[in-house]
Amino acid sequence: MFLARICGTVVAPVKHSTLGGCRFLVAQRLEADGSVAAEPIVVVDWLGATNGCTVLVSTDGDIARARLGNNTPARMVVAGIVDAVQTAASRRGENA
Amino acid sequence: MRIGIVRGHVTLNLAVDAFRGKTLVVLEPVTMENLAAGNGLGGGKALVAIDELGAAEGQMVAFTEGREAANPFWPKSVPADAYCSLIVDSIDIQS
Repeated sequence: MFLARICGTVVAPVKHSTLGGCRFLVAQRLEADGSVAAEPIVVVDWLGATNGCTVLVSTDGDIARARLGNNTPARMVVAGIVDAVQTAASRRGENA
Repeated sequence: MRIGIVRGHVTLNLAVDAFRGKTLVVLEPVTMENLAAGNGLGGGKALVAIDELGAAEGQMVAFTEGREAANPFWPKSVPADAYCSLIVDSIDIQS
């Protein structure tokens, strides 16, 4: 699992048959120092994350398989919307 | 899933049985910089994925990697680790 920031939405009318009705969001993985990864990822969201949200992404397909069936290729799912992250830096008042 | 642009198709001569009749595409993953610029460039390291959606060269797709890439063929066992899950029509980026 890792943290990511939501930065966009995906419109994709052509998709695997199990993915109909899913919400796809573009996210950028967050590093420990607060920077973001160079490559964006597409995540499935059922919780209602919006642009700018920090989310917890699970890379295990089990959440998607339970909802969409054993045949689904979905893997990265928003497992939670983050309220706060506490690190040594944030406790010192940096990088809030 | 990551985002990639279809750069070509792969035809196999000899292949393991599980790959018979499968369409393979060469994908170039797209970096955030290129995605936000919308310049049609990728920037990532190319890889090959199974495509059952009929993605054409130049089209943008989102592809699943890892064990889940073989899920669409369940309960058959296919040794795939990348699968095109969606053909992207448009992406709305708000940074």
